[in-house]
Parts: sequence; structure tokens; C-alpha cells
Amino acid sequence: MARMKFLCDIERCIACNGCVVACKEGHQLPVGVNRRRVVIINEGKPGERSISIACMHCSDAPCIAVCPVGAIYQREDGIVLVNKDICIGCGYCFMACPFGAPQFPRGNAFGARGAMDKCTFCAGGPAPTFSEKERRLYGQNRIAEGKVPLCAGMCSTKALLAGDSAVIADIFRERVARRGSGIAWGWSKAYKE
Amino acid sequence: MTNSMNDIRHSRCIFMIGSNAAEAHPVSLQHILYAKEVNGAPLIVVDPRFTKLAAKATEYVRIRPGTDTAFLMGLINYIIENDWHDKEFIRTRVAGFEEMRKVAAHYTPEVVEEITGVPKDQLARVAKLLATHRPGTVIWCMGITQHHIGSSNTRACCILQLVLGNMGVSGGGTNIFRGHDNVQGATDVCVLSHSLPAYYGLKEGSWKHWCKVWGVDFEWIKGRFHSKEYVHKKGFTLARWYEGVIQEDKITQYTPIRAVVFWGCASNSQSQYHKLKKALDKLDLVVIIDPFPTTTAAMCEKDNVYLLPSTSQYETEGSVTSSSRQAQWRYKVVDPLYESKTDYEIMEEFVKRFGFADKFYKNIKKVPEDVTREIARGALTIGLCGWLPERIKKHTDNWHTFDVDTLQAKGGPCDGEYYGLPWPCWTETHPGTPILYDISKPVTKGGLPFRARFGTEYTYPDGRKESLLAAPGVANPGSEVMGGYPEFPGWKTDINVIREALKRGMAPFGNGRARCYCWNFPDPVPVHREPLHSPRPDLIKKYPTYPDKPDHYRVYTRFASEQKPELVKEFPLILITGRMVEHMGGGAETRSNKYLAELAPEMYAEVNVKVANDHGIREGDYMWIESPEGGRIKVKAKITDRVDERTIFLPFHFGGYFMGKSFAGNYPEELVPYALGEPANIVTNYGYDIITQIQGTKEGLCRIKKA
Repeated sequence: MARMKFLCDIERCIACNGCVVACKEGHQLPVGVNRRRVVIINEGKPGERSISIACMHCSDAPCIAVCPVGAIYQREDGIVLVNKDICIGCGYCFMACPFGAPQFPRGNAFGARGAMDKCTFCAGGPAPTFSEKERRLYGQNRIAEGKVPLCAGMCSTKALLAGDSAVIADIFRERVARRGSGIAWGWSKAYKE
Repeated sequence: MTNSMNDIRHSRCIFMIGSNAAEAHPVSLQHILYAKEVNGAPLIVVDPRFTKLAAKATEYVRIRPGTDTAFLMGLINYIIENDWHDKEFIRTRVAGFEEMRKVAAHYTPEVVEEITGVPKDQLARVAKLLATHRPGTVIWCMGITQHHIGSSNTRACCILQLVLGNMGVSGGGTNIFRGHDNVQGATDVCVLSHSLPAYYGLKEGSWKHWCKVWGVDFEWIKGRFHSKEYVHKKGFTLARWYEGVIQEDKITQYTPIRAVVFWGCASNSQSQYHKLKKALDKLDLVVIIDPFPTTTAAMCEKDNVYLLPSTSQYETEGSVTSSSRQAQWRYKVVDPLYESKTDYEIMEEFVKRFGFADKFYKNIKKVPEDVTREIARGALTIGLCGWLPERIKKHTDNWHTFDVDTLQAKGGPCDGEYYGLPWPCWTETHPGTPILYDISKPVTKGGLPFRARFGTEYTYPDGRKESLLAAPGVANPGSEVMGGYPEFPGWKTDINVIREALKRGMAPFGNGRARCYCWNFPDPVPVHREPLHSPRPDLIKKYPTYPDKPDHYRVYTRFASEQKPELVKEFPLILITGRMVEHMGGGAETRSNKYLAELAPEMYAEVNVKVANDHGIREGDYMWIESPEGGRIKVKAKITDRVDERTIFLPFHFGGYFMGKSFAGNYPEELVPYALGEPANIVTNYGYDIITQIQGTKEGLCRIKKA
């Protein structure tokens, strides 16, 4: 069974936010709900890097461990989903998540889409696949259609990779090998303090 | 672009100057980063600002705005001094090298450091990178063009590539990233005031050629103009049209301008916007044809505006041209929504009411296919002859059969052709020209020599005579003449001449040399000239601008009389503008998208921490920015190291505010964009290119104070 993972290649990410907008448009998310976001560090300085972050679909997900009502569950392929019919919006998952993935829609019920919302890896939710309820509560189910998540599909530089972790690892390993360290093995490396 | 986006994958060195492609052309980075990773190509980024592109650079060069020519000529000089120039390429395919070399000799590393602020060691390092990593590509955008010496900047880039012998080869070339399609297409059909479609100019022969293509009588066309003089007179430009209304600079036209039509054009992308606004309020008629009510519409305070809602690109169809000179058919996805009409329909309604539909539609029975066909019949100069709608559609429908590296189809219905038939595509069977000036391929297979545009021989001022045709032995394989040859007489107006040339394996426009010395330019060899509003008054005497140009596209344009050394005392900071990835152009479309507005909701100014502290400004504080022309905007401060201690950066996509006042109430109900802000161009300065009159938005001065 495949283990689904995201990987953001920081040598490639240019902080264009294409992934963020693709996700929001594709799932018709309310403004303020960020299933995915791009973080820039050292902005404007040498060494500036950016990375696209969403739910990492952890193998041992802290959100599942702390959920008091058992609303969060993991599929066989590793995708972590929330059942919005059960979720009470307490925010324990928000405290436990190292990545700030859980989102809490504001406003009234119209468009609010339940208590807690997060990245679904474009795999819909517990409602029947392709049902109106699934679309309304969780958004598209592209995994069931055999497509990669919207964010990775949109990525302008192929920085954001999504899918079976074994395949992703192969792609990334090849890239890293091809790039090399950028520095020849010489004085600076051999005798670095 | 001489090469293509995809061809950058073959580059061994990427030199980008005045381009922030990571924000303006994000998808191009796919190819740029590929070359960086796979070929180990150094990525050299020259920019006054540490951009998102600079974050990906292996070598970042911070340059003073408006000194690009000095830096480029410095590189050229250093390359020649070190004997790194491509002598065989220069001997066989370049003209005016000796004359150029003498001018370049002035730009020693020390002189360049003094002008540009780039350390001389860094100049040497960059020159060596360029020399040791060939072929390399040179990429630029509006950071190079939007200067009073923009035309010199672009030529200096070209000369750099000639000296390195990087032209006409895969991985090389001069690659100017145009905007989204159809920016290149709009240029090719010359939506400009100085030329008929396909760069024919405005001479009588050009008019007669197009009249023949359109099937109309030249005398009738002539009769539509005020007088014979105006048939051949260049019009106003986008940068300066409003002077035709407000006349603060003297105009050379028999009447002031009374009406303006904005057809898919954002007025807030034009400099000195507060003056443009004066014009909007003075005009009898302002027509705006756009899917959105634009900033222009909101800015008009007089009851003179008509909004004609047009469709988006998804509700209509036709051919578009990409930056890489490739055509693609854009199919309709949905029928037009609400009361919007396609551009074709709007044009038809106008034409019918003006009463010349019989002439306008003489060759056009089916829109848009017949329009494409008419362009193909007329645009011989750039070889659009092979761009038939059926062929373009065939390419679009079979795009998966083309190779991502070479752009060539392997098998399938387009076998052997290059994607989008990059122009020149000389005939109905020509495969397109993926790389310009590439003499390694036959002309019929997409090869091309340099154009012999300026005769066969030239005598320089010092008496030296030089052939302008390629050296003997240098021509495309299969050419009947193995060496330079002049253009074929009549090739620009007769397709049969083109066919004859191709039959003989030759280029219709001849086989010439690329010029380093352009005698028809004010500076035959590019030289540094201080920006009109210079932060270095001490350099103005040594590097002055041009004399004023009294009739520059129908308007008096100041150069020398505008270059005031004392200005910097009152306006001590340099002002530059640019793009952000979340918004596009004037922002009418993107600021009306709730998700993009959420990501980039507010106008801001990038300010260095030292400048901010010196002015008592903290992150997020409102501040006033004032221009020497009297424009002022109130914007939030974003404190960042992207800009240095003498520079303010502004993104130019915002609108809906004007000098501190909101104009949100001027939009039609429920159509106010989600993101509003001051147009940066209210504070961009006076200054226009000596040849093209493009606005100099990347070399102004300003002052700031806490609001």
C-alpha cells in the first residue's frame, strides 16, 4: 500500500503561492481558511528560502492522539482526515499539530464547513465518495479520480511533490544527486573546523 | 526572445538583469532552475533589489538603478581585455566590433564601480563566469527597458551576447520575457502608434502593402486622416497620450485629444498617474472595454465614462502568441456570461455604426479564423505566412507529441515541426524557427542567419569600411550562396519571393552581420547616461542625458532641461517599481479575486530598516511618498532588506485610491475590488526613452515622511 506524502523541494520553491490559490479555488474554501500556506524565511537576505506547508499527514499523527471525540482518523494510505459530523472544534488538534494545519472557519454556518478544516490531500472525506455532502464539507476528491492533489498539480516549478512516498523519494533523490553539493571536495570541506 | 523558455534548459549560464521572473514569470523558473540544477549553470541576477529571483541566484549583483549600460559595457570590456571574446564569431557575423570596443574601453572595473556601485571584483567574477560557461542566456525584462536609455540598455545586452558568441545557439540568445500571452502577439500586430502590423512602419509602401492585403483602396484610407502628413506621422504613445489632452508639454498635433478608448488596458500602469487623471477629467469621452470596471473607470470624476463589458479569455477564442514567438489556439471554454460581449462582437458593432463594415470585413467571413488568415497573408516581415488557423489548432490539439527539450514533434500529425510554429514560419509547410539566427540548420528546417537589414557595406566616421554581409563560407547548410548575401528584393510584400529564396536554401532577408555600431541611433554604441533625476549629481556632467526632443511622438519631451543636479537634495531616495506574484498588471482582475486579495490585500512600500528608522517609521506605519512632479501617495511601510539604504520599492498593481483619498464609491455597486490601494505610478517620475518613449519608472527620485 502506498504511503501518501508531501515533499516541498526548497531549492525549487519560489514562493509564488500558486499552491495556496489552487487549493482555495479548487475546494472553494472560505477566506481565512488556509489549508496550505507558503512560509518565507530570511526574507530579502542571502539564504532566503521558502517552503509550502500543509497538513503533513503524519504517520503517528498527534492530532489523532489528542482528539477527545475520535473525529480524526487515518486512511490505509496514510492520509489523515477529519469527520466533520463528529468534530466539536475544541482545538486540541490545533495545540498538538507542529505545523499549524488545523483551521477553524469563522462566521456563520453558511460556508463555514464544520468546526475544523484542514488539508485532505484532495481525498475528500468520510461522506460517500463524489457525493454532494463530500464536496460541500471537504471539497474535491481527486485521489479517487486518480489525480495528484491540486497544489502539487499547480506548482509552477515542480517544487511541491505529492503522492506515494516511495515515488516522491526517488524523484527527490535523483534531483539531489544531480545537483551535487555545489562545492568541490577541497580545502574548505576537508579541513573545515 | 531569440530562443524559447524551454531552450533555457540547455543553458550553461543564466544571466538575468532587470527581471524578477520568480514573481513576473513563475513558470519560466521551471526551466531556469532545471538548467541551474542539471547543467550546474550559474544563475547571475543583477537587480537593485534582492528579489525572490535573487534568492535563487548563485551570484547576486546589487546595482544602482539606471546604470545597467555601464555595468554591461564593463563586462564587455573586461571580457575583451582578457581575450575571452569569440573571435571567430565576431570575424564572420558581427559588424562594428572595433568601434564598439573603443567605446567599451572606457568602462574599466574601477569606472564601473564608481557609476554602478558594483565592486570591481564582482564585475571580474561575473565576466569570468560568463566567459567560462558557454553557451549562456541573457534574460531581461522591464528593469532594463523602462529607462531614458532603455534602448541603449537592451542593445548593450545584445552586444554582450555577440561578444561571447552566444547568438544562434541552443542555450544562448537574448531572451526578453514578455508578459502573459498575448503580449508578444499584440506587439507583432503592432498595437502601437509608429507602425502598421508586423513592423512595416508608416511609409507609403507599407500602407499600400496592407491596403492590398485588406482589399481596400489606399486613397480611401488616406481620406480618413486629417491630412496627408498624418498618414505617415507617428502617433502618441501609451506613456504620453495624456499630454495630448492636458498639454503641459507642447504637442505637435492639429487638435488636442478629445476621447480615449481603453481596450483591455490598465491606466494605472502608466507613470505620473496624477497627470493622467487630469486628462481623464478633461476628456469628452472615456470608453473602457474590459471584463472588470477598472481603476480608470473609478478615477473619472466627470460624467464622461462608458463601460462596455467584454468577455474573459475563457469565453472567446482565437490565436495567441507566447513570449517564445509560438502561436497557440485558445479555445472557448464557456459561453459569455451575463451581458458581456466578445471583443470581436464589440468591434463589429463599432465598425457597423462607423459605416465601413463592407471594407473592414472584405476578407473576413468567419471570425476569428479569417482574421488569423489575413494576418498570415500580410505579415511577411516576421514570416507569419505559415500561421494558418488549421495548423495552429493542430499544434494545440497535439501538444503532447512535442518534446519538452527541443519543442519538436516526434511523429504524430505535426512530425518534425516545432511547437507553435515559432516565427518566422515562412510558408504553409515551414516547421517554424525555434532559435533565431541559428546557421547550423537549413532555412527550410528552422535555421536562419542574421538579417541584412542595413545594406551591404558601411563607412564608419573614422573612414573604416566594413561589409555588412556575413563572411565567406558562413551560411546555413544547403544555401545556394555559401557566405553573406543581401536581402531578396521585394520579399516583404511578395510571398513568391520568399518561396523562391527558400527554394534556394536562403533566407529572404539576406545573410548579414549583427551590428555593434548602430549609426541610426543617438548613441551608435551604448554609453552610460545618468538618469534624468539622478541621485549622483557629481556624475551628471560626465554622463549627461540627451538634448530635449521637441517632437517625440507628437509631444515635446524634456531630457537635458529636466536633468537638475540639485533635485536630489530635496528628493534623496531612489524610487523603483515592480511586480508581485499575486497580482497582474493594473490588477483589475486579480484584485477582484478574493483569494489573491487575501494573500496581497494592501499596497505597501518596501523600505530599508535604516531609512525607516531615520524617518521614524515603524513596520506597518502609514507614510507619504512624494515625487518631484507633485504626486504623493499614502502607503504602509514594509521594512525589509530587499531594498538597500537609498531605495524605495513599490508594487504597481494597485488602484482605487488617489493621493490619500478612497475612490471605492466610484465603482459600480457590488463590483468594488477586494483589494484597493494607491497606484504606485502617482509618484513615478518624468523621464522617457529617447527612441521608444517608454516610461522611465525604474530610475526616479522621491522623499518620504511618516503620515
